[in-house]
Amino acid sequence: MSNPTPTPPPPTSSSSTTSFPFPREYSFPPFFTRQTNLTTHHAQLVKWAALVVAYCRHYRIFKLALSGTGTVATNTTTSITTTAGGDQQQQQRDTTELFHNRRINRRLSLADIREVIDFLRKDGRAEYVNGGGGDLVWIYWRTPEEWAALVEAWVEATGQRGSVMTLYELVEGDATLGEEFHGLDQDLLLKALNVLVKRGKAQIFGQEDSRGVKFF
Amino acid sequence: MSRKGVGLAAFDRSRLTSAQYASHGSSLRSANAAALETQLAVFRSLLHQFAATHAKDIRSNPTFRAQFARMCAAIGVDPLASSTSTGGGEGKGGGSIWAQLLGRSVNDFYFELAVRVVEVCSETRGENGGLIELRKVRERIMSNRVEGASEITEDDILRAVGTLKPLGSAYSIIRVGSKPYIRSVPKELNTDQSAVLEAAQVLGYVSVSMLMVNLRWARARAQTAIEDLVGEGMLWVDKQSGDEWEYWSPGFMLDEDQQHFGGETPS
Repeated sequence: MSNPTPTPPPPTSSSSTTSFPFPREYSFPPFFTRQTNLTTHHAQLVKWAALVVAYCRHYRIFKLALSGTGTVATNTTTSITTTAGGDQQQQQRDTTELFHNRRINRRLSLADIREVIDFLRKDGRAEYVNGGGGDLVWIYWRTPEEWAALVEAWVEATGQRGSVMTLYELVEGDATLGEEFHGLDQDLLLKALNVLVKRGKAQIFGQEDSRGVKFF
Repeated sequence: MSRKGVGLAAFDRSRLTSAQYASHGSSLRSANAAALETQLAVFRSLLHQFAATHAKDIRSNPTFRAQFARMCAAIGVDPLASSTSTGGGEGKGGGSIWAQLLGRSVNDFYFELAVRVVEVCSETRGENGGLIELRKVRERIMSNRVEGASEITEDDILRAVGTLKPLGSAYSIIRVGSKPYIRSVPKELNTDQSAVLEAAQVLGYVSVSMLMVNLRWARARAQTAIEDLVGEGMLWVDKQSGDEWEYWSPGFMLDEDQQHFGGETPS
């Protein structure tokens, strides 16, 4: 497989520029029908779960909308981050293709999608945003714990223990350019930092949109 | 030689000649046996030598390996006979010598491969019900190998599956249509099921009416065969295919790809 896409000059997470290479089962029509055989069905769920996680990781999708369009709070493209003024870039990505293969005209029904999500939830790889069975789902291609570990490692490596920074700085600032958590969804960042807070490694203070964090 | 003996001496003479015949015969026989034995010994040592000097080739070159295995099979020596098998019989040296001299490397090669085959089969059992095309197994093994590892042929995999025999009958090679499959569940396919799987090889899927038309089966028969195979996890159902459900062979999950990459031989 060749990547004919022109590579952007700054080598940050350029993953969202190339299209996702779907696995072979995506072209397998029965993949989109809930299998009646239990063993087969389990194999199917495993494949779907892997596909969803891989897909979200590829496009750095943090919140997936089951009905189709995923609201992707990504700021991965470096050109934006350097110029972006204040708000986090809300990027809309059409994710209908994930559950709907137009080429073979097959789609996974919403009930089946929820089953996949439940399967992921049991594995700690997904969570409904705001609980319940809403339309928006966190897809943890990295769990909050894993994000926390990344942030912690970065703090450690750059000797920023004891320093204070805003959450915005942490994911949008120049200092974290090239770090994997750069451009991380704010809510997800908060979840990750709360993991550190629980461990006594950090403290969060401030109001809604001007939160700061101090690392110990 | 006069056969007309007269008198008692004639008895002595015939006894004498028959004794001479016997002794000559036995000496001939022993000479023959000795010659054969030396020939065998020379041959065996040559074979050892050959195997020892070419052990590397045997390991790395699949064509060479296949030829070597074929040669050994032709002369009644099994290079794969395990060293623990009650070998040695029939004066062939059995597996033990092979295992001692070169078998360690060749045996190990196939045992390692057998382990990989078992891994692939159990990894994919959920999606294919324990029936996987030999070619697919090879593809998967090859794709997981490290760069620069030696080529593996389907022939090698066949032999590797053979080495699993002592572990019971779970792993075996069966033929569906013209293609060899590895079956990793102890389950026999009946003729109807085989026919359905064979039909599914053509287009990738079958449907009840397809079977009724092409095999001239009654609806109930087609339905039963398909349902059995779905029950075994060997077919996947596609309910979005329009009028009639289609039943797909999981092997086609891999085939699609090959059409894209052009399935030509990589020469």
